[in-house]
Amino acid sequence: MRNLIQKNYFRYLLSGVVLLCIFSMGFTPIEKSPAGLNSPKDDAKPMPVYGHWKNFTTKDGLPSDHAYCVRIDGNRVLVGTHDGLAVYENGKWTTYTTKDGLVHNGVVSIDVSELTGDVWIGTLGGLSRWSGGKFENFTQFNSGMPNDLVYCVICDGKDVWTATAGGAGQYDTYTKQWEIFTEKNAPMHEPWTYGVSAGDGKIYIAAWGGGIIEYTNKTKKFKDYTDPDGEMEIDLLPDDGPVHDITTATSWANGMLWVSTYFGLSSYDGTHWKGYFDTDSGLASNFINFVRAKGPVVFICSDKGLSSTDGKSWVTYKKNENNSDGMTIIKNFGRNDDSTVVHTTKEIPSSPAIAHNFIIGVDADKEFIWVATEKGVSRGELLK
Amino acid sequence: MLIIVVLGLIIYFPGRKLARAHVNSKTGVEDHPLMCTSCHIPLSKNKLIVKLINSDYYSPFNLAVSKDGGRLYVVAQEGNALLVVDPENHKVLNKIKVGKYPYGVVLDEAGKIAYVSNQWSDDVSVIDLVTEKVSDTLKTGNGPAGLSLSADGKYLYVVNSFSSDISVIDLKNREEHKRFSAGNNPTGAELSPDGKTLYVTSRRALIAPYGDTLKSELTVVDESTERVIARRNIESAYLIENVAFTPTGDLAIMTMIRPKNLIPSIQVEQGWMMTYGITIIEQKEKGRVIQLLLDEPNAYYSDPYDIVITPDGKKAFISHSGVNCISVVDIDSVRTLLKESSPEILNKWSNNLGISSRYVIKRIPTGANPKGLALSPDGKLLYVAEQLEDRIAVINTVSLETINTISLGGPRRITVARQGRRLFNNSGHTFQNQFDCYTCHPDMHEDGLVYNMASKDMGRNLTNTQSLRDIRDTPPYKWNGKNQTVYKQDGIRFSTVLTRSEQFSYEDLDALTAYILTGIHYPPNLMYNPTGELTGSQLRGKEIFERTKDNSGNVIPENNRCITCHTPPYYTNLKLASVGTLAATDDSIKFDTPHLNNIFASPPYLHDGRAATLEEIWTIYGKEDKHGLANDMNKNQLNDLVEYLKSLRAPEYENIPSKIKHTSL
Repeated sequence: MRNLIQKNYFRYLLSGVVLLCIFSMGFTPIEKSPAGLNSPKDDAKPMPVYGHWKNFTTKDGLPSDHAYCVRIDGNRVLVGTHDGLAVYENGKWTTYTTKDGLVHNGVVSIDVSELTGDVWIGTLGGLSRWSGGKFENFTQFNSGMPNDLVYCVICDGKDVWTATAGGAGQYDTYTKQWEIFTEKNAPMHEPWTYGVSAGDGKIYIAAWGGGIIEYTNKTKKFKDYTDPDGEMEIDLLPDDGPVHDITTATSWANGMLWVSTYFGLSSYDGTHWKGYFDTDSGLASNFINFVRAKGPVVFICSDKGLSSTDGKSWVTYKKNENNSDGMTIIKNFGRNDDSTVVHTTKEIPSSPAIAHNFIIGVDADKEFIWVATEKGVSRGELLK
Repeated sequence: MLIIVVLGLIIYFPGRKLARAHVNSKTGVEDHPLMCTSCHIPLSKNKLIVKLINSDYYSPFNLAVSKDGGRLYVVAQEGNALLVVDPENHKVLNKIKVGKYPYGVVLDEAGKIAYVSNQWSDDVSVIDLVTEKVSDTLKTGNGPAGLSLSADGKYLYVVNSFSSDISVIDLKNREEHKRFSAGNNPTGAELSPDGKTLYVTSRRALIAPYGDTLKSELTVVDESTERVIARRNIESAYLIENVAFTPTGDLAIMTMIRPKNLIPSIQVEQGWMMTYGITIIEQKEKGRVIQLLLDEPNAYYSDPYDIVITPDGKKAFISHSGVNCISVVDIDSVRTLLKESSPEILNKWSNNLGISSRYVIKRIPTGANPKGLALSPDGKLLYVAEQLEDRIAVINTVSLETINTISLGGPRRITVARQGRRLFNNSGHTFQNQFDCYTCHPDMHEDGLVYNMASKDMGRNLTNTQSLRDIRDTPPYKWNGKNQTVYKQDGIRFSTVLTRSEQFSYEDLDALTAYILTGIHYPPNLMYNPTGELTGSQLRGKEIFERTKDNSGNVIPENNRCITCHTPPYYTNLKLASVGTLAATDDSIKFDTPHLNNIFASPPYLHDGRAATLEEIWTIYGKEDKHGLANDMNKNQLNDLVEYLKSLRAPEYENIPSKIKHTSL
């Protein structure tokens, strides 16, 4: 028997590789779920669909059409642009720049502390805390912050986390201490981090080339999740882990971690990973800049439009190339009696559509969705 | 007999000569009395002598009055106690032990509970006023000082003076609910009469480059949204200790100092070192911020500390710790002035020494170092905590006369060091009472300002104020190390250069020196090193601090290692050094290596305060590796080094028997 195995070793290996390739081409095993039928906690609420788009550009008072991020904060909306922080309140835009004390005008990430209401602003030149109308600035020169390129900032209780070009930084607002996490003290591939999110007592860092770094607040221990296929741009074995190691953002809600990459989307329920691609789901594109989960719904910002899903349905918002109109594409996935996967697609014209298909930031509340795009900010109303 | 006389003469004359030389070298003068006991007894480290020559005072700091006016609750800062006082019978009824170095007290609406902030133990003592016992202790941020209860009594706001934030404590579950960042070194807290907003004042100005207008933050918290809704810059002012609202809520008035640190210090005789007054904020939309002085053309009223306003809203009382008096301000006159003055005129008033005659209606003398104030419920009596008198003054708010004093039962004798402390806190030795030691060294520490200390040749020497905590074993003094002793520092040169007045008598100089060298101590470093057990980061930083080789394995020259110049326990080798930070406008000097204990509490850094944070010493001002080899370090290593530096604390907390501490002087 032993000899038999040794003799046929290469044959078995080859068969395995062929099977992997077949699976990767879409012949999903029967017992596995199709990409559209994933495992987020089932929620009876219908998938929200937004419309009646209103687009804002410099003509409406934005400091720049290049919008990088958006955050709803009660009755106001905070938008990070290439030329400063824009705040929409009572129907008016107000801009804050370095002249007002902001650390840098390239605002790429914003979060609001639930605890204090302080606004934390990640920029291309440092981190600002905006509180009571005043900016307090943290840089790599005046503080323990890892690096001035702050791609993402989030608040987690009293802690503020940043994903920077020099590692992830944890700032304790009580002790005023910074802790830096890089490849030297965390399971990272390199110090470059792109995104960070919090949930369930854990921090999820999107580490460039290093997959997802999970940090447990209680134990202060790290765990990393990487693509078992390495840096290959195709997912050889579906749902075996994150779809790629070059991760761009993470977001946690309703017990589900969502991870965006430039090669597809992943979800993780704490036990199983699942991958989503534009070929087998309602994703607008595999090139995903940012992801934000809100309750059972996740919003996915890509280079070809904004997608959202609750696990069963997908809604994608796109703009036409040659005019300001566009389309809302709704895809519902299900199974036939013979368990084969089927989906229905419905396309609803929208006029106007979102401002641009290259989308970098999104936030939504019960009534509105706000989208940061390459050419302006879009606001959509929840359609009843 | 003749032999004894001859021997005596032989010993006496050379001995006297030696003693004279010794005293001259220590004092820098030739006529300081040759009285060995005047220095060697007060400065003795012998335990028995220390015990004999000192006393434990109460040092009342703040106080509160019960709703029926029948009890005073007095914070005895150095007695570590809350004293229960019967004001009618002038009796101290009870002494309730609280935490370390208590600061403020506030009573709940029902008058059944007192909350006492303990600045040096990072907690609040909850005292049941029926049993007069501590019923609970609430954890706070670092250095709890001012206190205020929310309008509904559910939350206790604790102003953390060292960590510069505000703890919001949920009194139901007795835990910290949230924490807001505040201004720099905040202390005062007051809820508006409508209960909607909390004002928190800060003492130190926000760190800014020398030459920028000083700004001290007033933090405004909205009760309903539980958010900081405003951070107002109070310009050209600092040491904003306390704030009070008029009962109608139309004005918020706070005490303040307007320092003239951007102007050469030789301007003292022109009245340009410090001015003292109040900042008023109109409580309406687009309400103005107005600053009015309490000084007079030839007399300054230094170190305003507390302010209270009578229930009828007519009078404000302000304690001046530096000149032992209370200013009485007629608030209607202030209102009239505000009404008739344009913004331009008001701006002028903020520097006008004569305008106080329009609204200051009386100066009521008090005992030494008046601090906290409290009014009886009917507003007819004003109680004054006379910190260095160990008593409470009782002032009739109608006749504006002191009608009584209540002794708290502290020692009757005034020790040499206590006398020194009184001198330290009193402006009487400065030209027109412009300032005292405490003004620039609040809490006997430093005020965070950089002064233009013009030299005799009129050169510009920017000088970052240095702390006076535990400096006994760290001579020489001043950044240039010119003064080998405190006797020299505070002797005739001091009066010539700074106070522009008669120098201290030698008796006073001895007392002042005794206090400075034996009575000023570091608070514990509860923020960064509460137990002595260093964190992982601090331990790594310690290794860097003590390293002899760089990251490449090359030997670091001995004179470029941290540990060489900053040797424990005070982290100074007491020598002069050049670290490449001399400015073009500085006199050509080397710098006295500063001690580093509690260095986290002394921003800005370097001799001229150019480094806003410890990091900036190396990230911005250490590029040439002259202030220790640092450029081989990565960011993690620099962070570790900084975390270690922040952990440094006083030797007494490290069980190093460097001196004998007497808790109260």
